[in-house]
Amino acid sequence: MSLRLPASVLLLAAFLFSGCKDRQITTYQAPKDPAPAALPPATAGNSAALPEGHPPVGQASGTDMAATAVPTGSDSLTWTAPTHWTAKPLGQMRKGSFAVKGADGTEADLSITAFPGNTGGMLANLNRWRGQISLPPLAETQLDSVLEHLDGDGFHFDLADFAGTANGAPTRILGAVLSRPGETWFFKLMGPDALVAAQKDAFRAFLRTVKEPAP
Amino acid sequence: MIPLVRQFRDFFVSLKLTVVLLALSIILIFWATLSQVQLGIWGVQQKFFHAFFVLGTIPGTSIPVPVFPGGYFIGGLLLINLVAAHVYRFKLEWRKAGIQLTHTGLIVLLLGELISGLLQVESQMRLEEGGTSHYSESYRLNELVLIDTTDPKFDEVVAIPEAVLGDRGVIQHPKLPFQLKIRDYYPNAAVQMRDQVPNAAPALATTGLGPRVAVIPLPLTYREDERNSPAAHIELVAPEGSLGIWLVSSLVGMPQKIDYQGRSWVIALRGKRYYHPFAITLHDFSHDVYPGTEIPKNFSSRIQLKTDDGHDDREVLIYMNNPLRHAGLTFYQASFERGDKVSILQVVRNPGWLLPYFACVMMGLGLVIQFGIHLVGFVRKRTA
Repeated sequence: MSLRLPASVLLLAAFLFSGCKDRQITTYQAPKDPAPAALPPATAGNSAALPEGHPPVGQASGTDMAATAVPTGSDSLTWTAPTHWTAKPLGQMRKGSFAVKGADGTEADLSITAFPGNTGGMLANLNRWRGQISLPPLAETQLDSVLEHLDGDGFHFDLADFAGTANGAPTRILGAVLSRPGETWFFKLMGPDALVAAQKDAFRAFLRTVKEPAP
Repeated sequence: MIPLVRQFRDFFVSLKLTVVLLALSIILIFWATLSQVQLGIWGVQQKFFHAFFVLGTIPGTSIPVPVFPGGYFIGGLLLINLVAAHVYRFKLEWRKAGIQLTHTGLIVLLLGELISGLLQVESQMRLEEGGTSHYSESYRLNELVLIDTTDPKFDEVVAIPEAVLGDRGVIQHPKLPFQLKIRDYYPNAAVQMRDQVPNAAPALATTGLGPRVAVIPLPLTYREDERNSPAAHIELVAPEGSLGIWLVSSLVGMPQKIDYQGRSWVIALRGKRYYHPFAITLHDFSHDVYPGTEIPKNFSSRIQLKTDDGHDDREVLIYMNNPLRHAGLTFYQASFERGDKVSILQVVRNPGWLLPYFACVMMGLGLVIQFGIHLVGFVRKRTA
């Protein structure tokens, strides 16, 4: 007795059936939502502020089971900042935040952030920094010529040093990108050109203190 | 009998098939249990049990290939096997009444699981104290909606399941005066105000909230207590040209407005909604604790149920293990939010919810009868 034929017919039928999924576009009439007014069409200039009464975007509230924490990479790095850098409160996305003050009262901002994945790649990230200080974007081929490399405590950093202008003032960005498995860390010092340039050695020394926390 | 029909009959009634299927199901359950570490309970159910085949992908591509029979396949065949063997070998004898009843109970149990798996729909209704809702929202499924809000009395909704967005194609629908071009789709993504994300990628969206917000793609989560928040960039293309690119995300609470040809539209990505022919108003949510402790004793929602046709208008108290059953739906107290001012009800539609109870009674009764017959026979033999 051969069972091959019934078995193969059955397999085929089941396989075809398994292809069906709920992908139907539906239309219906629904009672009006008593929800808040819709967002007005965007105005020119697009201010960063949300309309009045809008809950903060991306923030979960309450004990809602459905709330998802926004992962911003792991918390698994530590560092030691120079004593003349002042720690600032962490923003929503920051892993570390410091104010670097100059003798003349000027101030630069050091931010440490981490995101899952490669966040668009090295070129896109560097060009975003360049955009912030009114510099033209780089081409892929120019990447090697602007990157410096620094080996820290088991980590390799790609360093960039860009000088441009922001709001008409000479501004410099010292940035370091650290690629780790599954996430990318950014260390960025941005502020008045002279101040940031003077902090370059301190910044490099700071990067060398970045390490995995002791187990 | 035609040889082909006999071949099929012999296949379905064979005990060999039963043994093979039971062996396969042991492997399936073992594999699924191990996978639960990565996928979580819900993910495992979808991938291994609520599927005809466990799908894998060809290495290096995203082309799905079946690698193992899934729960529906094995369970379905077991069901057919059991029924076929019953019909084929059935003999009406009192001596076997217990066994027959037990097996019928098993068939009902398998059928009940199949019906639940195929037809059960779960959603949640979120109610603020004093608030009223006509709909519940899915916890897992999402939909892109385009709502024509021009009519002051009702909204005209076109709902596109999230699965369609994954194709990244062009959607044309007779109810829409424009085409939807899916420019980008992220199954899970965080959104943040752009000024808070120093390294955000440039905005693809050109209008609405999109240019002010940065999208950060995230890996899919399978955890029980987390939810994937999809996002997409949708371009609306009218006959005269593009109307702009909108960013939609299930994390953006406020719908975005589009005015086109004298009609007002709203675009949003939200949990799939199920509208009901009745409204529920939350009068009061209470969260009782044991005196002097923070240990919860009871959660309850006092609600008003009012049907659209006016037949029913009553107050109901929903609390733990005491759900409301109405119109084929069951409302359970599931969760709460915001300092006990918001109650979340789990809404379950399961046409087969009674079958497991019947099945258990039948199997229990069948075993009692079968052992009873043996016991009586044994006692008689001893006394004789």
